[in-house]
Amino acid sequence: MRGLLLTGVILTGALCATGSAAPPSLLGKEAPDFALRAMDGHNVRLSEYRGEVVLVNFWARWEGDSRQQMQALDHINVTYQRAGLVVLGISVDEDQRRAREFATSMAVSYPILFDTGATIGKDYLLQKMPVTLLIDRSGVVRYSVVGYKRGDEQAYLEQIRALLRE
Amino acid sequence: MNFNVRVTVLLLSAVFGLSAAAQQPAPATPQTPAPATQAPAAPADAPPPAAQAPTADAPPPAADAPSGDTKTLDQEVQGLKKDVVDLNKDLFVLQEELLFPANTQVAVYVSMDVGAFFALDSVQVKIDNKEVKNYLYTAREAQALLKGGVQQIYLGNVKVGKHELVAFFTGKGPAERDYKRGATITFEKGVGAKYLELKITDRVPKHQPEFLIKDWE
Repeated sequence: MRGLLLTGVILTGALCATGSAAPPSLLGKEAPDFALRAMDGHNVRLSEYRGEVVLVNFWARWEGDSRQQMQALDHINVTYQRAGLVVLGISVDEDQRRAREFATSMAVSYPILFDTGATIGKDYLLQKMPVTLLIDRSGVVRYSVVGYKRGDEQAYLEQIRALLRE
Repeated sequence: MNFNVRVTVLLLSAVFGLSAAAQQPAPATPQTPAPATQAPAAPADAPPPAAQAPTADAPPPAADAPSGDTKTLDQEVQGLKKDVVDLNKDLFVLQEELLFPANTQVAVYVSMDVGAFFALDSVQVKIDNKEVKNYLYTAREAQALLKGGVQQIYLGNVKVGKHELVAFFTGKGPAERDYKRGATITFEKGVGAKYLELKITDRVPKHQPEFLIKDWE
């Protein structure tokens, strides 16, 4: 019983730690608007998705977990886009050509945008990669997490379902 | 926001419900003796029973009270929303007046007429060789401009005197080719606010887009 309690406390601590590692100043605040060029040549503006739940994933090619995370997000996008979820992947790679090659090899179903000047990254107070944010229908950041481990998508799904129900 | 409003409505209706419930038993007992004793006292006392009449009549409306309450609350919420919008508008005007006083204010607008020979992608604005705005247009925004929308792309301050504004337009030109053009204007900033319009039009005889800057006096 004590062991169980201890495990519970540790798990809760770990979960809290994951949450607090994210940029806390953005939680509960309006997500900074941005307009970026997508891989297909179109421009995408965040504020145009007001009224939908938006998952924003900042990634970098050199971050080892990005590939796995993008695959998981692609699966989420395919499943939930009809329910009103929009997934946006933002590359913060300075080398846009290599980032483009990487994204092409991933062939994900959601738009990949390029923040080569890292201007949006500054607005979102990015310090580590990857960073995943969930923005609710009114444009407020409701969930953010830094890093990715296999299985983290379950936590994303819980949050996404809750936000889609609102 | 919606959730907050819903919670507020629920709380208010709960409070109203409680107060209505609390009021109902009270008039039931004292009211019967009250007119009996107070009736001969004076006609001046007539208003209280009259005033209490609605409470005495309260039970019948109480049956459909939820719809009435909801309607009133809804009206109140709508009123509050309107107040917020009005307040926001006043605040915006005040902020503009404080941040961009007329004697230094310069506002730049973008408009598009026809646009058959040009699909707008971005506009860069430089004043006195300093970049003040770089705006990327989404398909929806470009469409809004084509439908007659006018966008305020920049609002800032410049000193009184002569200034130069350069605007670079990028997009797709005729035959889907990448297209980049610039337009320049030298304007005199006086005491009043300065309004400049970046106009994208079609030069039909040449099958080319045209980029103009208009100085609104």
